[in-house]
Amino acid sequence: MSNRTLQDSVRPAALPLGGKLPARQRTLQLAAMGGALLLLLLWPAMTNIYRISFVFFLLQYVVLASSWNIISGFTGYVSFGHVAFFGIGSYTTAILVAKHGWPWYLTLPLAGLLPVAWAAFIGYPCLRLKGPYFAISMMGLNEALRVVALVWESLTGGGFGITMPNVENSLETYYAGLAVAALTVAMCYAIAHSRFGLRLAAIREDETAAEAMGINTTAHKMYAFMLSAFWPGVIGGIVAYKLLYIEPDSTFFIIITVNMITMAMLGGKGTVLGPVIGTAILYTAQELVWWHLPWLHLIAYGAFIILIVLFMPRGIMGFLIDRGWVAKGVIQ
Amino acid sequence: MTRYTSWLWAIVPILGFAAALVLGAVATPPAALAQEPLTIGGAMSLTGRYSEPAGRMADGRTFAMEEINARGGLLGRPVKLVMRDDRSDPSTAVKLYERLLTEENVDLCLAPYSSPITEAVASITERYKCPIVADGAATRSIWEKGRKYIFGLVGPSEDYLRGAVEIAAKQGYKRIAIINEDSLFSKAAAAGAESYARQHGMEVVLREEYPRTATDFRPLLLKIKALNADVIAGGSYFVDAAAITRQMKELNITPKLWAATVGPGLPRFTEDLGPLAEYVLGSTQWEPVPALGYPGIKEYIERFEKRFGYKPNYHAAQGTAAMLILEEAVKRAGTLDREAVRAQLTQLDMTTHYGRFKVDETGFNSGKGLLLFQIIKGERRLVWPDESREVQPIVPFPPWDKRPSK
Amino acid sequence: MTRSMVERTPGWVYALYLAIALAGLGVPLSLAGEGFVRWLAQTRSIATFDVTLQVLAGGILQGGLYAVIAMGLTMIFGVMRIINVAHGEFLMMGAYAAFIFFMWLLPRELHSLFTLNIGMAILGVGVFLLLCLPLMFLFGMGVQRLVLNPVVGGPELTPLLITFGLSLILINASISIFSSDFRAIPYLSGALVVGPLALGYPQVVSFIVSAAITGSVFAFLKFSRLGKAVRATAQNAEVALVCGINVERIYLYTFGLGAALAATGGVLTSIQLPFFPEIGAIYILRSFAIIILGGRGNYLGALVGGIILGVIEGLISFFIPMGSRLQELAAYTLMVLLLLVRPRGLLGGIADE
Repeated sequence: MSNRTLQDSVRPAALPLGGKLPARQRTLQLAAMGGALLLLLLWPAMTNIYRISFVFFLLQYVVLASSWNIISGFTGYVSFGHVAFFGIGSYTTAILVAKHGWPWYLTLPLAGLLPVAWAAFIGYPCLRLKGPYFAISMMGLNEALRVVALVWESLTGGGFGITMPNVENSLETYYAGLAVAALTVAMCYAIAHSRFGLRLAAIREDETAAEAMGINTTAHKMYAFMLSAFWPGVIGGIVAYKLLYIEPDSTFFIIITVNMITMAMLGGKGTVLGPVIGTAILYTAQELVWWHLPWLHLIAYGAFIILIVLFMPRGIMGFLIDRGWVAKGVIQ
Repeated sequence: MTRYTSWLWAIVPILGFAAALVLGAVATPPAALAQEPLTIGGAMSLTGRYSEPAGRMADGRTFAMEEINARGGLLGRPVKLVMRDDRSDPSTAVKLYERLLTEENVDLCLAPYSSPITEAVASITERYKCPIVADGAATRSIWEKGRKYIFGLVGPSEDYLRGAVEIAAKQGYKRIAIINEDSLFSKAAAAGAESYARQHGMEVVLREEYPRTATDFRPLLLKIKALNADVIAGGSYFVDAAAITRQMKELNITPKLWAATVGPGLPRFTEDLGPLAEYVLGSTQWEPVPALGYPGIKEYIERFEKRFGYKPNYHAAQGTAAMLILEEAVKRAGTLDREAVRAQLTQLDMTTHYGRFKVDETGFNSGKGLLLFQIIKGERRLVWPDESREVQPIVPFPPWDKRPSK
Repeated sequence: MTRSMVERTPGWVYALYLAIALAGLGVPLSLAGEGFVRWLAQTRSIATFDVTLQVLAGGILQGGLYAVIAMGLTMIFGVMRIINVAHGEFLMMGAYAAFIFFMWLLPRELHSLFTLNIGMAILGVGVFLLLCLPLMFLFGMGVQRLVLNPVVGGPELTPLLITFGLSLILINASISIFSSDFRAIPYLSGALVVGPLALGYPQVVSFIVSAAITGSVFAFLKFSRLGKAVRATAQNAEVALVCGINVERIYLYTFGLGAALAATGGVLTSIQLPFFPEIGAIYILRSFAIIILGGRGNYLGALVGGIILGVIEGLISFFIPMGSRLQELAAYTLMVLLLLVRPRGLLGGIADE
């Protein structure tokens, strides 16, 4: 039986408390981030529409994986139904744009807030459950939402789906997606380097002990859950607008959940950059294999998931941290 | 060496991204040369729920491509089909078409299979102004949105069950139960059936939908039996039609008439159900029956069977027809310019082995109607409309215990 | 002194949830006021005793099938704490194995033997299961040894993902080998008529076989030494180790047995419907709902839960307008409700620490 994680959390943190790096490294870090951001900003000018879309969908998964990381990596409550928030956001935007004629960007705050309300609603009952029960209940709720979307035709068009008026929107959705992705990663970074994040990590490691230390685990779990619901909703709205047509099966699709989990795990669950790296590598690889070797790609994906989970459970960032090449944040 | 080597924070994401870019660039096909083949790209559901019918459509298209190339190609260039898997998922199809149109730069496009996927893809092809002949979609609502670049080929889904309803009305049956699967096409078929039923003064005693994953229809059938329906009409695909027929036998329910969409038209229906499939009515866009009288139909059936080892069903015929229509439009336009091809498609009036193609102002093929067949002695025989009829339909169905075999 | 989440929740939250639930039920009811009355009248006319009995019987028969599948899952979950997402794919493998056997290996003349009458039909399935189950058992053991053994005892997400990856591989491998086409086995059709009830032959056969297998598994677990070892390991693996039980071997056998049970379900499904590579997805969520209904590691619970779910689905389908669509919702709602109200399951499962 492996209790490697237990040992790791007892190892003294590599960073002074508060998680602030020495000044030189911080500048380098920020410069690197800035460079990446600049590259992404200028990307549309350098390439064709397909590649713009490609990076957009990659950013979609960055948002999903990072926000999943908040509730599952930081807080330890692994959710197998995170795509529900994405779906709610998608449908919100689609309904408002198609049926009520709202401009798409105005729908985004609502697309983000409705999933948060849903998270608050199901949080109280569901966060009481432990481990696999929480995972399955999230999955069940996602499926339930899918069936509701199918059945409630007057609102969602049911199996017909919702079509939005046709516009060329690649650029605007790209930049919106980029903004959302940047904000999500920034939010994760802020959480990871704050006392709030520290408390979430405490809950993850041992909830009873955290409770004994005076942390209001209920409130913290709820906050984490609600925070993790906001950005998937927003990106869901943007994606719905980009695709111009959504229907329940592809919007509440369980494979999206599996994708975001695998990407976060590949990069390193519980780290800030982990989901970003994992997404970048896995999404690109998936796209290439899908295009060039379609008959192989799902089998390869399945094998890939197994290999990652067996050999690199802490992901790439975990691997780098273990080697000492990257500073271990307090929250890992 | 200090452990705070945070420059790795910078390198790792940038390296990863750069690697992705390089890989993507390497994977791009080389620039097109002058006498390169003419690429026609499209989605095909190789995996997922649509793979059976889509597979037949792909065969039809491959057949057409080989024919065209044997005749010297299109505009003097050989034709190459680029069909990629869309996993029966609309969002994958959207990404696929975006890629085909911007990265792969295909010359022309083919439609995907199934109404939801076509609906999703239609916005993309509209945006890139690439005309497509939608051989995989039958739902009128796709054409009611003011689109200019999508052209229908097949008869509307609303009409699939029309023949069954008309036969029932002629026989004087009054009570009809309509059930359907909850996806786009089946809903439209059921809605059409309902409106035709009401037009003929029949009473719709039951109108229910079932999810795609439903396997147990017995409670539903019991409800229908309790309500004394004379006719059962189903907007279905394959698994549900087969399961319903089997369970009807179990519960010893014999409606006077049972008609379903898609399922009975697939060869597997008669293979798997054997004698149970007898008398079932099915709708089809086309049947491999030379008596239909369309030009070239006999040679088509023979050559297709020789090439693929099975008689073409209507999905295959649709795939072939779409390619032939596209070929004709391009030939008449004399160029690959999409506007010119589109203009030709709006005016085209041609009859292939599949039937007539002439679109109305929304782009829908109003010249095409549907056919109804009945499975008699294991073979599909056409029973409606009158001009295509082979044999008279056998209604009412004999009850189960009076039928020949087990 | 710690306070659990249940204790922390103030009373008004419960009141709020109750209000929302009542509104959720009440609003559609009131909107559909007269439709509701019409529905009542219609139901009263169609719900004769005979028909209701038929629906119940159908539900029970169907539930027997669900029970066999769920039993394998609960065994794996109980002993190894692993949620086997690939369970549906094991079922699919069983179905395809039956297909290979009946369509390719069996000479055509023998086909009619099995469609002759119900006795021969059961014999046919029985003979086939005798061949297929050991193979699936070995396969399950192989899977456990290769990919799951390293992660037993670790975080629960890991085996969840591994089994998901496994399910992807299995589905797509069978698409490559068999193509996505629907396959079916020509089997005895028609129904056994018992009084007012018409029980479909395939369903009856599957119920009888399920009952036999479930019974044997019960007996095995209760009376045999190995069975007791399995139960002991499920309760507490460390203590079982201390008592001298070879826990690793138990894990192997358990997973193998679970896979074999799923394959049984698959074989029984194959005689009822046309199947295709993705058919596992239909049964997997229902199986989750059943094991939660029955309780973790509670085998009787799996049986009871399976039957309850079968009956509820039948009843919803029959009595509620648009019921067939909502029948999917039944499984999920039951599952979530139970998780909230009584996570231990109706019959109480092995306690989680």
